[in-house]
Amino acid sequence: MAMFVAALILIVSTGMFLFYVHAICQRILRREFEQDYYLAIVNANRLEFPAVRQAVESWEAPVDYAHVRLTLKCDYLALTYLLKNAVNVNRRYTRQEWMLAVYFHAILLLLGLCHKLRLGERSALLNLTAILQYFANVIGQRVSTLRFGSLSAADYLMNL
Amino acid sequence: MDTLVTFIQYPIYLLEAGVLGYILLRRRERSLLPVAIYLGLLVALDGLGRSFVLHLYGFTSLQYAYFYWLTDVLLALGAFLLVCLFFRRACAEHPQLWQVVWLVLVFVLILVAGISLFSLSRNFDHLFTRFIVEFQQNLYFTCLVLNTLLFILMQQLQSADEELSMLVCGMGIQFAGPAANLALVYLTPGQQYGADLYRHIHPFFTLGMLLTWFYALARAPQFGRIAKPQRVAAELVSAGRGEV
Repeated sequence: MAMFVAALILIVSTGMFLFYVHAICQRILRREFEQDYYLAIVNANRLEFPAVRQAVESWEAPVDYAHVRLTLKCDYLALTYLLKNAVNVNRRYTRQEWMLAVYFHAILLLLGLCHKLRLGERSALLNLTAILQYFANVIGQRVSTLRFGSLSAADYLMNL
Repeated sequence: MDTLVTFIQYPIYLLEAGVLGYILLRRRERSLLPVAIYLGLLVALDGLGRSFVLHLYGFTSLQYAYFYWLTDVLLALGAFLLVCLFFRRACAEHPQLWQVVWLVLVFVLILVAGISLFSLSRNFDHLFTRFIVEFQQNLYFTCLVLNTLLFILMQQLQSADEELSMLVCGMGIQFAGPAANLALVYLTPGQQYGADLYRHIHPFFTLGMLLTWFYALARAPQFGRIAKPQRVAAELVSAGRGEV
């Protein structure tokens, strides 16, 4: 009996641990920025995650899974490069960014699993785009502190 | 082994003191008194007490093992009380709900004490091996269940207290990890390897909790606040009156 209880506690506690990590990441993603900094970064780097999100939100026909996955991964690589190298003296992630990067990979893994098991992928895809938007907002906010004459860097990028 | 424990634990001790110092420097000790007391307990028992005993007797000594497990029980009981006080904060705007929650918490405490006494009477000869692992595992798991109920309650009440929400998530990490780890220790044949593993891994969960708490204290005002339906309705009504 005690062994059974211990096994049950092990399974439930592991599940709860993952649940709390998920909850913490969701709360980090809920951070509000003063403005939509991500638009300038999306525009300057021709990122596609807003289009993916729009397609998923108005999802009636099935989307091309392989294409969407590749698109999000490319956006992730571009954004993480910028996170490390754009207006970042330390050239490394902060703790939140590091945690969200791990979270992104975990969801990407889960997305593959959902796709194979033919379960709903919508929620996972929206989570991925939310993480990318957060990253783009952080970069945009950092970049907006720079100024080129009368224009802020964000305004400059928007006009490209 | 000693070096590894030292390498992991000393930065965590510094972080414990750092978060406590942050609360005091920001003069938030009144609003966060339970958190400050718990952090003070962590600094005193985990940071100072354990380091002193480890320095005196070494990682593999019996004295350190006794001290470690006894302080772990005290810290787990402290964490239980902290969750109870988080319940009180979550129910601040709902006094009637707090009356019910209070009774449930007392009942849970009596239940845990009863089960522990029963287990103690059966395992009196294995006090610092089998009993302590089972007791700690049950205590952490009970705290985890209570913490999760608090988290769900806050979602149901649509609580706008994002700081509390993050503090609760941090506690969840602190309870879930050790509960799973202790269950693994209990299931491991011989238990000695598992117990050593527990003493190595446990600090990482404390680290997770402290980092989450620090983030909550430093960044909570920037979170998007969930508007309460009642509050929004009241604002809309008052705005409507203003126009008339």
